[in-house]
Amino acid sequence: MLRAIRRNKAAYLFILPALLLMLLIVFVPLLQGIYYSFTNMDQYNMGNKFVKASYEWIGLANYKRVLAGEGLAEFLGVLKQTMIWTFTNVFFHFILGFGLALLLNRHIKGRGLYRMLLLIPWAVPSFISAFAWRWMFNGEFGFINMVLRKMGFEGVAWLSDPVWAMTAVIITNVWLGFPFMMVTFLGGLQSIPRDLYEAAYVDGASRFQQFLHITLPQMKSTIFTATLLGVIWTFNLFAVIYLITEGGPYNSTQILVTFAYVKAFNNWQLAEATTYGVIILSLLIAFSFFYSRVLKMTEEK
Amino acid sequence: MARVQLKHVYKRYTADVATVKDFNLDIADREFLVLVGPSGCGKSTTLRMIAGLEEITEGELLIGDRLVNDVHPKDRDIAMVFQNYALYPHMSIYENMAFGLKLRKVSKAEIDKRVRDAAKILDIEHLLDRKPKALSGGQRQRVALGRAIVREPQVFLMDEPLSNLDAKLRVQMRAEIAKLHQRLQTTVIYVTHDQTEAMTMGDRIVVMKDGLIQQVGTPQEIYNHPNNVFVASFIGSPSMNFLRGNLVEEGGALFFRAEGANVRLPEGRYAALREAGVVGKEVILGIRPENVHDEPMVLDTFPDSTVQADVEVVELLGAESYVYLNLAGQSLVARVAARSEIKPLTKVSLALDINKIHVFHADTEQAIF
Repeated sequence: MLRAIRRNKAAYLFILPALLLMLLIVFVPLLQGIYYSFTNMDQYNMGNKFVKASYEWIGLANYKRVLAGEGLAEFLGVLKQTMIWTFTNVFFHFILGFGLALLLNRHIKGRGLYRMLLLIPWAVPSFISAFAWRWMFNGEFGFINMVLRKMGFEGVAWLSDPVWAMTAVIITNVWLGFPFMMVTFLGGLQSIPRDLYEAAYVDGASRFQQFLHITLPQMKSTIFTATLLGVIWTFNLFAVIYLITEGGPYNSTQILVTFAYVKAFNNWQLAEATTYGVIILSLLIAFSFFYSRVLKMTEEK
Repeated sequence: MARVQLKHVYKRYTADVATVKDFNLDIADREFLVLVGPSGCGKSTTLRMIAGLEEITEGELLIGDRLVNDVHPKDRDIAMVFQNYALYPHMSIYENMAFGLKLRKVSKAEIDKRVRDAAKILDIEHLLDRKPKALSGGQRQRVALGRAIVREPQVFLMDEPLSNLDAKLRVQMRAEIAKLHQRLQTTVIYVTHDQTEAMTMGDRIVVMKDGLIQQVGTPQEIYNHPNNVFVASFIGSPSMNFLRGNLVEEGGALFFRAEGANVRLPEGRYAALREAGVVGKEVILGIRPENVHDEPMVLDTFPDSTVQADVEVVELLGAESYVYLNLAGQSLVARVAARSEIKPLTKVSLALDINKIHVFHADTEQAIF
């Protein structure tokens, strides 16, 4: 190790600044957060300029409370919402993204124009879109209810009914997120050699069989990467929910990250917020690990 | 029975430009036919029309006396070998070869028999469980051939199948494909831009340029009696020499004259030249490098057909040398024995074997003989 460092001195020297920065802004806060989750830190004992910090190590008490004690019901409720939020979003991102990519991959007129228009949701800063959607969902003056009323329906209580509120944030995020999948899948589709399709065509494969035997297997790793990233991003997506519903009404649209934020900066339950953070991290690591194992298994078959 | 006939076939991608023009060809059963020409000449397009990958804009295509213009590729009784092999990367070699049969609902036992037979012929039995990416270029090429063989088609279509292999392997596979053809006794239509492949493999060669057939014939016919300057220059390596000069009549004899060259033409050709009406006019004289001689004995035999030229470069290839010469501004290549003592930057006399020369019209570049 030491000899390797000595031999490649220059290389390590170049890495050093980035490494230090990473340590400072990623690993130090991460380790600190993990440490806080084993304490009883809150707004009274966290300390400040004038008062010395007085929080104490309490071991696994926070985890016991959240995972096995009085915090469990609350945690499970939010976890369920997070799952609904994540998988509904990724499902529609995937379906819309793949479908549009397949359409755009064909030689249709005005392909470039469609592709550009479809990228708009992604190009606009998400907080602007989120605010725009929040206004569109407004029960009294919102565009969507206006259209519904014009068509003879009753308006929907988009942001004040728990189920509709979840529907509203999911619609917003589906709109925001499908272009990423579309672009990724389009890139994947375009990298499949055309002569594979020609060979299959001569072999007698129908369009559907070509899709099944060439497109899907060739897209496997792209699909894997895109959905994995999609799940992680959506699971951790803070802005859309926070800007549209702030987790409400009655916490019905809270997901783990927004809930941890509320705990930390609205309720100042810092120890419990960091506990949530560690749990989120563990869940995602476990998911990624499991997902890549499943993929490997199907590949070996 | 798989005779393939193309009658007045055209391919147009846009209304006014034809990629293939008035293509007429009758390919006999069991013939090995090679389509050759520079890139963009329409040879691949022609093959793809036969395969059914491109629509035929105009004209008729018959495979085994059946009009197949609108027949799906899978029902044309053809199999195609692609330039980049087009093996399905996620399938094993076995699955690659079985795929087309599976789609046709051939029984499992029959598929297994055919795949194993083909693998045996191609010597790839030990590779059946592997994936294409674990194979070398030559092995992939064999699998691509195997995938075509198991279909037991009437016609094999091959689109530059050897162009991705290195030179040594290409020579080897060339012989193997020829052997395979003898063994399978089916019609093969083979596209290449490599004249050596065309010469060595084809029963007949079709030389194409700009979407038009330039000449159809056996390798010998095409080599010895090219129709025009293009065919003459495309087939043969190094390429045929072309000298521009005038055809003059003196004392009843016909001479080809250019600066540095005064060649008396053989009497047997006079009638043809007179009939072509080129006496006293500019013509192109063609002669292959192997028919340009430097041995004193040949110089003595053809005293009336010598040229004087400056030697620029001598390339020794081992058994023979290529001598690059400058004949008063026109270039000339001679293929001489390795023991020849021609040195660069000297002036030499060379004899043209007048029985092997060709004369072309200077304007149309069509051959007179």
